[in-house]
Amino acid sequence: MAKTVLSCTVNGEAVEILVQPYDTLLDILREELRLTGPKEGCGTGDCGACTIHLDGKPVTSCLVLGMQARGRSVTTIEGLAKTGALHPLQDAFVRHGVPQCGFCIPGALMAAASVLAEHPKPTEEEIRYGIAGNLCRCTGYTKMIAAIAEAAQAPATGRA
Amino acid sequence: MATVMKTTREVKGVGLAIPRADGAEKVTGKTEYVADLKPKGMLHAKLLRSPHAHARIKRIDVSKAKALPGVRAVIVAADIPGLKKKAPTRAHAVLAIDRVVFVGQPVAAVAADEPAIAEEACDLIQVDYEVLPAAVDPLGAMQVGAPPVAEAGTEADTSEALAHSGVAAAKSEAKPSKAVNISQQAKINRGDLAKAFAESDVVIEKTYRIPMVHQGYLEPHAALAQWDQQGQLTLWSSTQGSFNTRSEVADILGLEENQIKVIPMECGGGFGGKIRALCEPITAVLAKATGRPVRYVMTRREELDAGNPAPQVIIKLKTGVKRDGTLMALDADTIIESGAFSGAVLTMSAVFIASVYKFPNFEVRGFEVLTHKPSIAAYRAPTAPHTFFAIDSQMELMAQALGVDSVEFRMRHLMQEGDPMANGQKWQSNGAKQVLARIAEHPLWKNRKAWSAQSGKNGRGLCGTGLAVGGWIPGLQPTGATVRLNPDGSLTVLTGQVDIAGTNIALAQIAASAYGLDLDKVKITTGDTDVAPMTGLSAGSKTIYTVGTAVLEAAKDARKQTLQIAAAEMEAAIEDLEIEDGRVVVRGVPDKGVTLASIGKKGNLYMSKVPPVLGVSHPAFAVQAPAFAAELAKIEIDPDTGETKIHDFVVVQDAGKAINPLGVEGQMQGGAVQSIGIALTEGMMYDKNGRLMNPSLLDYRKLTAADLPNIETIIVEVPAPAGPFGARGVGEPPIVPAPAALANAVHDATGVRLTELPLSPERIALAIAAR
Amino acid sequence: MRRFELATPDSVDACVKTLAQRGPDAKLLAGGTDLLPQLKNHLLKPAYVVDLSGLKELRVIDGDAKRGFRIGAAVSAREIEEHAGLRAAFPGLSESGALVGSIQVRNLATLGGNICNAAPSADMAPSLVALEAEAVVAGPKGRRRVPMGDFFTGVRKTVLGPDELLIEFVVPARPARSGGSYIRHTPRRELDIAVVGVASEITLNNGVCGKARIVLAAVATTPVRATAAEQALEGQPLNAQTIERAAELAVQAARPIDDQRGSADFRRHLVKVLTRRTLTVALERAGRSGGS
Repeated sequence: MAKTVLSCTVNGEAVEILVQPYDTLLDILREELRLTGPKEGCGTGDCGACTIHLDGKPVTSCLVLGMQARGRSVTTIEGLAKTGALHPLQDAFVRHGVPQCGFCIPGALMAAASVLAEHPKPTEEEIRYGIAGNLCRCTGYTKMIAAIAEAAQAPATGRA
Repeated sequence: MATVMKTTREVKGVGLAIPRADGAEKVTGKTEYVADLKPKGMLHAKLLRSPHAHARIKRIDVSKAKALPGVRAVIVAADIPGLKKKAPTRAHAVLAIDRVVFVGQPVAAVAADEPAIAEEACDLIQVDYEVLPAAVDPLGAMQVGAPPVAEAGTEADTSEALAHSGVAAAKSEAKPSKAVNISQQAKINRGDLAKAFAESDVVIEKTYRIPMVHQGYLEPHAALAQWDQQGQLTLWSSTQGSFNTRSEVADILGLEENQIKVIPMECGGGFGGKIRALCEPITAVLAKATGRPVRYVMTRREELDAGNPAPQVIIKLKTGVKRDGTLMALDADTIIESGAFSGAVLTMSAVFIASVYKFPNFEVRGFEVLTHKPSIAAYRAPTAPHTFFAIDSQMELMAQALGVDSVEFRMRHLMQEGDPMANGQKWQSNGAKQVLARIAEHPLWKNRKAWSAQSGKNGRGLCGTGLAVGGWIPGLQPTGATVRLNPDGSLTVLTGQVDIAGTNIALAQIAASAYGLDLDKVKITTGDTDVAPMTGLSAGSKTIYTVGTAVLEAAKDARKQTLQIAAAEMEAAIEDLEIEDGRVVVRGVPDKGVTLASIGKKGNLYMSKVPPVLGVSHPAFAVQAPAFAAELAKIEIDPDTGETKIHDFVVVQDAGKAINPLGVEGQMQGGAVQSIGIALTEGMMYDKNGRLMNPSLLDYRKLTAADLPNIETIIVEVPAPAGPFGARGVGEPPIVPAPAALANAVHDATGVRLTELPLSPERIALAIAAR
Repeated sequence: MRRFELATPDSVDACVKTLAQRGPDAKLLAGGTDLLPQLKNHLLKPAYVVDLSGLKELRVIDGDAKRGFRIGAAVSAREIEEHAGLRAAFPGLSESGALVGSIQVRNLATLGGNICNAAPSADMAPSLVALEAEAVVAGPKGRRRVPMGDFFTGVRKTVLGPDELLIEFVVPARPARSGGSYIRHTPRRELDIAVVGVASEITLNNGVCGKARIVLAAVATTPVRATAAEQALEGQPLNAQTIERAAELAVQAARPIDDQRGSADFRRHLVKVLTRRTLTVALERAGRSGGS
């Protein structure tokens, strides 16, 4: 099957790669661009582990064909913060002891970043609904909620 | 063996709530899991799976699949030398030979350049099946004449039970009875049951039923296999026990264990579901056949269809009590559905049900039943949530029938240290009473009547509160650890222990405290099976208890060696020496001494006579430390739809000694939410043909953040005599009490007593409507 | 997923031409939230997939309470949820969009996809039927309009031919004193699918019910109108008793099955509960909606 060129922006950088038409955006990010932060937990949009930002909006990348990202901008967990520094959300997650197995974390952080972008001072309910698309089996969510609420207090928040 | 630390030395790290060292890696997406690896030339694997629960394989034709461009290997059972015709375990049935025994059983395997090509190749494989009758419901499968599941003569597999917990078998027998699908039986009794029931004033008889549930780890099973020119196999695996995986793969493929190196990758959740080999053997076979690295990652659909879930458990329970509250009699059948291969932890359920509350007369009959469904494995405290769902509900029912306070009733009859368990073993020291007492003090329990009085007022639904106590007896397994002093005065601790629960930070805290260093000078390395000391499973709530002990002793050994070297150099007596701020000093003379770095350097210097400091410990264990938790739920039920909203949820758990309270809280909250899931929304549903009706995460419902409140945690510490610093295992107890606590809460709110899980909106709404 | 070829037309005309050639072997891809899971579960193995993300015309959303709305087929459920004007004019439709999946799924899922996938449980379908919306469909012979009440023909079946493309929905303005609501029952708060869903749209006229539309999801092979319930309300005052009567009558329109999401008994029970609840909300919204 003939490959086609996918041109898009990933984590702020212009990207041009050859892809199969049936490759999902998640597959391309992970296998071709080797951005393995977003994970496949279910492949059907039911767990959120693959959450990335597409044109600034959180989506489950396992449901997007790579070619649907043409001309658009993609941000993965690797692009959440500048290299070397942790985003306030990432820092709060670490300090609150949120990551256990860690598999849900990249997707959860991308969803959490969107929550803060939409609700700079979120209520607990807004946080819970904001990450309801991200299943976590290890933590029971409590520390995740606390970390997101705390990160909302940090100054430079709102940066997706 | 570990003893509780008796020392004036200041504890440097134990008890501190510290985030895990790998936090930064995890939040930036840098941590590597198996599916993140992609060596050069790697191929993708897909398996063709049986659509039938029970069928004979008449013919397999792979010619079209092999001819598809991009396909590098197509394997069937005939291509795997030494495959045992009568597979002793599920893992041994790498590919079905001439019979399939569950929907989803692997029949053929493909390695191809792309996953999509591998899938298309699977489509091209032609299999002729002769469909056979299937035994799908365990109660039917137990009957004489039910379609047989096991090949005649297959042994019962009790290895899981032994790996998970050391509860001595209540005479667990493997002889099949005339009912061919009963693969294990157990029976324990004491006293005179008939007489005791005759003398009881209140007899309550209920059947409790809990469906199969999936462990629900976010990362599906995955394995990467590669052979080298010398015939050495390297396996990168998502596993809870690299040494166990190595042994299983060696046995299954007829290899020497030394031919295999298992590198445990970060495990994206296991909870008991990644103890046994599942993907590794077939991945290794494909890698051998193609001469290239092969990676196999299960899809979520495959995980649900053909993983190794927790068993369905049916408990028929009859209890008798006198009007004055004296417990008289307990009679129980505990039926554990093991799926197509034996392997249930049968004895735990049988023993627990008659051991936690003191029944002087009892008989418990346990049955492991085979059915044509995927075989089961452990899930955090296997069979305990089920068993405590039954016994705790029953205690609550008895208390209500007698008109007494249910906490007092439990407390009155709860076992304590020294009491005999149902199998005659004595209960070790435990905190069951302490956690129950602590939760009963909680304002949510004290104010429960005010809450239920709100039912139906101001737009409220039906309001109720419920609690329950449950626990687990963590397992034991021999292990080993080394502690090495580096030339810069830091320590490196080596274990083979897969860190699935954040135990590494706790091990670092233990090493730091035992040696006398600050935590940031301690590094924990998890070695693969070639380099690490032998170690057991990261399961059974035993990592801190066992590996923590090994690390503690190895650190003490390293400390002793360090002090010996320093004593010789400083011409001082060892008893007078201390380690402070990276130096060995004479107590009370802090400005004179030698640095740890200098001792470390000397141990690695050309021509040096000073040996390197290497602390070693390789213990085995005999004393278990039971661990208990109590949970409370404050709920509101929509009487029309049956939806349950949990307003508040509390976990009180005895951790013995919380080495790292932050980590312990995480285990309590995660386990509690898994427990709530079993109680309210989870369950694998099969049709009469043995096909799973909910093989996706849409319909296999794990709780989201929007379904839950904050989980409040209260840590109680009843030191375990043999635990490092008194620590007990913490991973499993929190998954136990919620089903009973929520059934009790539903009863409190609605007057309805449900004995079948999950407590779905449908069950609750229809039960309310039928009141 | 199996391999397939992908077409990426950049206009409706180009898309219609592609469908004329490939129609029967092709599936249309908008948000992918139904199609991709079906491909991955091997329920569908199309040789061609036609990606609609280049068709800007499908993403237009335009209108207000006075004029009604045109909603492009590829407008996302998230936009349906958040569009202030739509929420004010048609709150039932807007809240149905808010229920689909999760935020991540709603950012991808489209109104058109939800409708064309035509699952009996499709959340956004009942409101469109209750609002008497029309679907605008493009094909080789030009465009046609299909009333939403006629759009669904069976489980996962619609009137669309293999060479046709859904362009947009036209939702007519309602008179003053109109209100609507959509409520569904699910075991979880998010990431779930309706066991039963009910949409109610009512218009008050001189203190009594002028028009009532009650549409049920997940209790038949298509969304189904509870016409007996509607007729029992029209011309009557709307109060607890008439609403309760309508809720009981709505059950008659339901033909539910037992499946792993719920039993037929429970679904009938829920039809009554949710009809009562949506009518109550619709009445309250109608009372607030201005005019005399």
